[in-house]
Amino acid sequence: MKILLVEDDPETAAYIARGLEEAGHVVDRAADGQDGLFLATGGGYDVMVVDRMLPRLDGLAMVRAARAAGVATPALFLTARAGVGDRVEGLEAGGDDYLAKPFSFAELLARLNALARRPPLQREATVLRVGDLEMDLIRRTVTRAGRRIELQPREFRLLEYLMRREGQVVTRTMLLEGVWDFHFDPRTSVVETHISRLRAKIDKGFGRELIHTVRGAGYVIRADG
Amino acid sequence: MAETGEGAGARRQEAAPRWAFARTTAFRLTLLHLLLTLAGTALVGGVAWWVTAGFAARQAAQEIERGMGVLMRSGAASGLRGVALSIEARLAADRTGQEYYLLAGPDGQRLAGNLSAAPRARGWHEGAIRLPDGGTAPVLMLAAPLPGGGALVVGRDLSAARALEERLLAVAGWVAGGVLALGLAGGLLIGRGVARRAATMEAVLAAVQEGALERRLPVGAGGDEFDRLAARINATLERLQGLMGALRNVTDDIAHDLRTPLTRLRQRLDEAAAGADPEAIAAAQAEADRLLDIFAALLRIAQVESGTRRAGFTRVDLSAVAESVAEVYAPAAEERGQTLHARIAPGICLPGDSALLTQMLANLVENAVRHGREGGRILIELSPGELRVADDGPGIPEAERERVFQRFYRLDEARSGPGSGLGLALVRAVAELHGLRIALEDARPGLLVRLTLPDGGEAGR
Repeated sequence: MKILLVEDDPETAAYIARGLEEAGHVVDRAADGQDGLFLATGGGYDVMVVDRMLPRLDGLAMVRAARAAGVATPALFLTARAGVGDRVEGLEAGGDDYLAKPFSFAELLARLNALARRPPLQREATVLRVGDLEMDLIRRTVTRAGRRIELQPREFRLLEYLMRREGQVVTRTMLLEGVWDFHFDPRTSVVETHISRLRAKIDKGFGRELIHTVRGAGYVIRADG
Repeated sequence: MAETGEGAGARRQEAAPRWAFARTTAFRLTLLHLLLTLAGTALVGGVAWWVTAGFAARQAAQEIERGMGVLMRSGAASGLRGVALSIEARLAADRTGQEYYLLAGPDGQRLAGNLSAAPRARGWHEGAIRLPDGGTAPVLMLAAPLPGGGALVVGRDLSAARALEERLLAVAGWVAGGVLALGLAGGLLIGRGVARRAATMEAVLAAVQEGALERRLPVGAGGDEFDRLAARINATLERLQGLMGALRNVTDDIAHDLRTPLTRLRQRLDEAAAGADPEAIAAAQAEADRLLDIFAALLRIAQVESGTRRAGFTRVDLSAVAESVAEVYAPAAEERGQTLHARIAPGICLPGDSALLTQMLANLVENAVRHGREGGRILIELSPGELRVADDGPGIPEAERERVFQRFYRLDEARSGPGSGLGLALVRAVAELHGLRIALEDARPGLLVRLTLPDGGEAGR
């Protein structure tokens, strides 16, 4: 992926750029909002990472201006502010995701992958398939190898979230936000228990596992081992 | 900078306290009122003048016109001679000596009357007549030419009207003087009173500025604008004191309770540096994460307590929030052998912050899962007007129930487990932000957290 990183703190920028490059991505860096906007409108980026507080032109204004200029590149905001309202502000300005500092690198990587691979225009599929697991979104049914699996509504949403991101790592916080609309980190391992219940229904008794744990990052659903 | 400016202002005021009231709004308003009152008095005086002194002068003019008419008619009937006779007869009949006449022939010679000379021009004139006793009397005169040549002058004494005018003027002067004096005295009195009350307020506020945050303005029973203002300022000071207290608490908490994990982090890093032990590094990372969590929780509590989030309130479906939280925690409860019962009435809404209400309820249910009895029961109940979360664990001793809401406060039994002691502090902050009354009760056995909705919640759509 070609990634635009707009971050004014040189140490943080170097840390993020190094990590992304190690993961095999190409990173362009800008240290303020105006340079960032210039690079963003040049186009060709799969995703951009924008700090909220930037010199010359702050992150919100930069993304707003880029959107006004017709730049559709997905944007992820980084922020040092812990406020709940800030997230809404960021999304309203044209951001696609929001990550509060400090964050784990695995979290950033997983979110960038999810953003870049999101189809530009979500054409509604009616059936999702991962290996022999099949989800009918209209009849709200799930089968594996032709056997019907009964899921509760929230389990259905959790599985749908994973299946829509087949092959991508999905973090705990992504699940908390996307499935349960929880914008904080519960101390109890709620995600783990939900995943293990889902596994019991999806994977138990079917030889090959579909839901995999990625150590230190999250979960991924995929058919091949 | 602002502070030094205010200080200078305060000193300037202290320098001339004797005349401070003259600069008060009350004094200025009184002066303005006084001017208006004087204008009103002048208007009333003018009308009085018109109906009294003016009336006397107008009556004299009418009599003159009437006399002139009669004489003119007798002139038309019997010539100058007739007029002269009429004038003689009228003068003979006038006992008060207030009537004046003059009949002049075509050559200007005086033919009859008691005036010595005719005015040069025709029309109305006012003049002074020398009286036999040496004094003078004001006289109003009308001069008119006669059809056959010659001129006729009819006059009336205006002494009475003028005397009335003089008396009226004198009275008006006294009244105006009195009004002015009373108004000024009243203005000074009111201005002084207002200045005194303002000075009291200023003194108290200066004391608050100097750090005596507990000082409050006196509020009278009258309920006038000063009392309302004082009450409002007191409420503001109350809030200020609360915020300052909260800030001090946070600072104290950070000083006391973050020292321990920071020290631990330091030790882990020392260990890691000594042996490059991956386990020690992982432990140090976990410790750093814990510290960051604590900071995030502290900041969030502070943000909630500041009350600024109230501006973003929307209509929140509390029933949906409760359903969602119950669903999220059901598997976690089952892992501990607990059963989670949710009895949630649908469509209960309140104005609020959805994310904060979710976290509040999640914290309560999480506490119930963690501190409840293994294999026990957890109840989430939402009915119109009330939200209850109960477990059948050991509960909280009555003496501790108020203190568990404090930051970093942890029951002895919980001290060994994970957790920062900030969960209930956030719960209370969110509840207060939404106007929910929170009470901890004995569920016999266990803990019952009862949240009372501000106005019973509204039925949602």
